[in-house]
Amino acid sequence: MELTNLWKQYDQTLERANILNLQSWVLHLQTLELLKTEKAKSRLRSLGNCKKGMIVIGILWVAFLIFLLANSIAVSKIFFALSVAAVLGFSIYSVLAYVWHIVLIDEIDNSESLMEVQKKTATLKASTLNSTRILFLQTPFYSTFFWNWQWMSHDPKFWYIAFPVTLLLTAASIWLYRNIDIRNADKKWFKMLFSGKDWTSVIRAMKYLDEIEEYKKDLPQ
Amino acid sequence: MHPTDTEQDFLQLILANKGIILKICQLYCPDRADREDLTQDIIYQLWRSAGRYNKEYRFTTWMYRVALNTAISFYRTDRQRTTLPLSPLHLTIEEAADPIGTERLAGLQHCIQGLKELDRALILLYFEEKTYQDMAEIMGLSETNVATRLSRVKEKLKKCVQSQVK
Repeated sequence: MELTNLWKQYDQTLERANILNLQSWVLHLQTLELLKTEKAKSRLRSLGNCKKGMIVIGILWVAFLIFLLANSIAVSKIFFALSVAAVLGFSIYSVLAYVWHIVLIDEIDNSESLMEVQKKTATLKASTLNSTRILFLQTPFYSTFFWNWQWMSHDPKFWYIAFPVTLLLTAASIWLYRNIDIRNADKKWFKMLFSGKDWTSVIRAMKYLDEIEEYKKDLPQ
Repeated sequence: MHPTDTEQDFLQLILANKGIILKICQLYCPDRADREDLTQDIIYQLWRSAGRYNKEYRFTTWMYRVALNTAISFYRTDRQRTTLPLSPLHLTIEEAADPIGTERLAGLQHCIQGLKELDRALILLYFEEKTYQDMAEIMGLSETNVATRLSRVKEKLKKCVQSQVK
């Protein structure tokens, strides 16, 4: 009761605030200039534009890989072709993930309930980390491009150097895939790998996503 | 009436409900400059979302959803100012000369601002005398969950306010 009374007093002080140029601002809402400014301003939309840019780059990269693959299908180049095919698979996955993100951005409707909107927004940000952990799995294929039968059978360096390097990269990429998880966000290696402002906001979004899931659960009374 | 048949209708609706917008902005943005940006964002989002207004819900339910979602997203984003003060595209808020008044009110504001974003939305809806059903619709939670969470948030807030006054 005391809290409610306190709020009422607080409410009265806020009611005295005024928006000075509201009328002219609203009446200008439909003018092109304002819409342009506001359009550019929308953070979600700018996120969408960034992702659209990534899709264009991704498509060019996929096209290049397809070109490489088409020109390397031969028994003698089997390792090269397989490596390109694997990287191509991961690249197509990335492009599709970005397309899905844009669909998600368009689907966000602020007039849905808080849980729905906040979950979609946080999922969108957090998905960057999920995509990254999947993309780590392609790392070993960058070390198998130059493998060939002759090198394997005649040069011991292949077994002493190239093969262990690939094994090491495979183990590391699987380990990263399994351990890049929000539960490890406080660990030193995680912080080193995902430092910087952009990653901080992605990690915050993942924590928020957990919070939302927790919030939705009915609590014991 | 559709909320935005014309800019004039929309303006009337915003004027009639400006208290809701200003309260949300105050609770999610301690910084005045950010608050002006957020007010602008909320009004713009209301304008944009008006086409998707679902008449199944009351106008205020729709408005709370849009305004709170915009405020929480704004609060969670690292941002830069988008329009400059004095620009015609910038909304200016004139606050009361002594906006918070007593120490107790400042304490209440401080305690609400210290709550998590979703708890803050819940307590605001409670103070605005929304029913459990309204709160459940706005939040997207079950009524039982709303009731339980609300009693915990109120308890937390009460303790915080008491400790502020001591």
